[in-house]
Amino acid sequence: MAKIIYAGEGCTGCKACSVACVHAHDRAFGLRATRIWVVREEPLTDYPVVCHHCDKPPCRDACPVGAITKRDDGLVVVNERTCIGCGACVEACPFGAMGMHPTKRVAINCDLCGGDPACVKFCPPRVLKLQVPEAVAQEQRVGG
Amino acid sequence: MSYPLGGYTGQILRVDLERKKTLAEPLPKELALNYLGGTGFAARILFDELRAGLDPLAPENRLIFATGPLTGTLWPTSGRWAAYAKAPLTGIWGEAHCGGFFGPELKYAGYDMLVIHGRAKGPVYLWIDDGTVEVRSAKDLLGRNTAETTDMVRERHGDREIEVACIGQAGERLVRFACIMNNYQDALGRTGLGAVMGSKNLKAVAVRGTRAVTVADDDKFMELVDDANQRVLKQSQAQQMMKYGTPLLVAYKSNIGELATRNHQTGLFEGADRLNADTIREKYYAKTRSCFVCAIQCKKVNRIRKGKYSGTISGGPEYEGIYALGTNCGIDDFGAVLKANQLCNLYGLDVISAGCVIAWLMECYQRGLVTRKQCDGLNLKWGNSDVMVTLIERIAFREGIGDLLAQGSVQAARKLGKGTERYVMHVKGMEISGQDGRTHRSAALTHAISVRGADHLRSLVTVDQLGYEDTAAKRYGKDKLPEICDPYGERYKALVVKDAEDTFAIRDSLIVCWYSCGWPPIFWMSDFAAASAAATGVKEFGDVKNMYRIAERICNLRRAFNVREGLSAKDDMIPERFTREPMPEGPGKGQVANLEVMLREYYRLRKWDADGKPTERTLTELGLADVAAELKRPRKR
Ligand code: SF4
Repeated sequence: MAKIIYAGEGCTGCKACSVACVHAHDRAFGLRATRIWVVREEPLTDYPVVCHHCDKPPCRDACPVGAITKRDDGLVVVNERTCIGCGACVEACPFGAMGMHPTKRVAINCDLCGGDPACVKFCPPRVLKLQVPEAVAQEQRVGG
Repeated sequence: MSYPLGGYTGQILRVDLERKKTLAEPLPKELALNYLGGTGFAARILFDELRAGLDPLAPENRLIFATGPLTGTLWPTSGRWAAYAKAPLTGIWGEAHCGGFFGPELKYAGYDMLVIHGRAKGPVYLWIDDGTVEVRSAKDLLGRNTAETTDMVRERHGDREIEVACIGQAGERLVRFACIMNNYQDALGRTGLGAVMGSKNLKAVAVRGTRAVTVADDDKFMELVDDANQRVLKQSQAQQMMKYGTPLLVAYKSNIGELATRNHQTGLFEGADRLNADTIREKYYAKTRSCFVCAIQCKKVNRIRKGKYSGTISGGPEYEGIYALGTNCGIDDFGAVLKANQLCNLYGLDVISAGCVIAWLMECYQRGLVTRKQCDGLNLKWGNSDVMVTLIERIAFREGIGDLLAQGSVQAARKLGKGTERYVMHVKGMEISGQDGRTHRSAALTHAISVRGADHLRSLVTVDQLGYEDTAAKRYGKDKLPEICDPYGERYKALVVKDAEDTFAIRDSLIVCWYSCGWPPIFWMSDFAAASAAATGVKEFGDVKNMYRIAERICNLRRAFNVREGLSAKDDMIPERFTREPMPEGPGKGQVANLEVMLREYYRLRKWDADGKPTERTLTELGLADVAAELKRPRKR
């Protein structure tokens, strides 16, 4: 399935993806309710972190109430009504790509905005892509 | 929490360090409607709450951190924020702007503005965690540089995403041009606001904001945001900025003979090629970074791979850093410039004033007005980069000659005497930024009238500097060409400077970045009007005429602040070098600035009297009758 992919170069750490994400979901501008994070470290490190929609999702396995499912279309989704906000999935994700909504207090992850992700649209240096990993691999084989 | 206007959080946070009291008060609606945000808010508060003659380092001085209605939204460049106080360097209006991420975070914590009163008994830092506000001990942070301070505060609170604004060793020692830093390389640089923090025993302000900001008409606003982003991406100068950042200006200015060199003795620097954007890109470039959600992304990190400063990796320098620490000191070693720039950031020194005070001392040395012995035995010949770097350290720690320089060049020259005063390149006590009114005529007026002293950012005009004819025609009419773009003529310069000052007053209240309107010239007043109206829901903001009215109100109020401090036309001066010493070489050889004619025209356009004071009528028309009354009151000192 297609997911949000960062090619590993060119992120400037501006966090436009995070703010666009919050806006797409909450119609408000903020950072802490984001589903895509930007790591900024001194002096040269900036990169985004976002849900990989794993085939064997550790977040799902960690959820004590079965609120997280891997859908047939490949998406890993949180049922906000079942979620009890315990944070087990947040800890379990090996990438740190599961978050906790600061006011709703439920787990949140990337939902690809239903297919047209706001972060990809907004990324000023255009380094986020909605792509199938295998396609990225093909490109890498060709481009080196 | 709901505030009747969009874009704002609706709260002002007041903190009294003396009593360790904090208070979140509602943002008065009239303040938003009449002053918009940022600079407008600060102008009203500082005028109302400070008295004339107050020592900027006294506890009664206010330190304001402000945002505006666009801060924290997706409008490109809306990560900007600003600090205000009566300025330690000049004793007048103090204002400094900054990028990074602190401004949005403050808004997400729920505050449009933070106003700090009083002086803490011992070293403290302020911790703002949404609605929880605490004044905490900063004993262990004392003596730490700005990067260490940021790291320690983040570690203490176990959160890497906390935003920290802090001072370094220079601010602790009340260096008169100490800056406030955030995000390691973003500086609230000018006018010495770091010394205000130092005087309040406030080492840092840390903030975590988990809330969000909403706008009034979300669909309309996002339409404007999309359009604005498209325009940024399509704009060729913005593309250049994205690739090179502000060092681009080194070559531009070299070509027009405005690359201020050796304390502004000339506008041509023989080592310019070693400091220009192509050289930096080729030899030192390491990475592009950006402020919050910005599509221009002008921030560059550079790395020195060879020589004495090998291993230095740091953000910057901006053009102004290359000028102040490089060309103006006759230095062409980029490694030394990057190192000095990094030290300024770590110790918390304003790069421009630091470089300029050193350049001034170098000129005094050139002319035999100071001896080597007076300067700790240092050899102050032009281009001595080791000495420049050493002096940065001495200033920050107030050691040896650094203690004298730490007072700013005007005070230092006053102490030194012997004609050294003549070579101080300043306006109203602040060291001059890297423009030259002889070969960029509008800059002479901009420097002279700037409310915070010799500054370019409040009203710099680029149409005559960079010859933007299309922009000039669009903004002011074709009939004003070619004079309006003539860098050597005074005609129309007052008009463009006033218009820039007004537009930038709005820019600085929204708050958005200079690199989206002045240069590169992408947005102007009508864009700001449309964005403000959609964000706030205040229909009146959408009318450009109303925006100009608010802008004039802000400019007049800031000016009134300075008039109350005793300033008048005599202070709207530029260094004699620009009016009496013809440019010695280059394309503008022989040029001097005729400030008088531009000033007179500027006062007329502003409807001020011949002494440069806002008249009662002008103030009253702008709804500032109370300000007029205050100015009429006999001054008590
Ligand atoms: S243009 Fe540069 S300084 Fe301005 S907001 Fe963007 S990255 Fe920051």
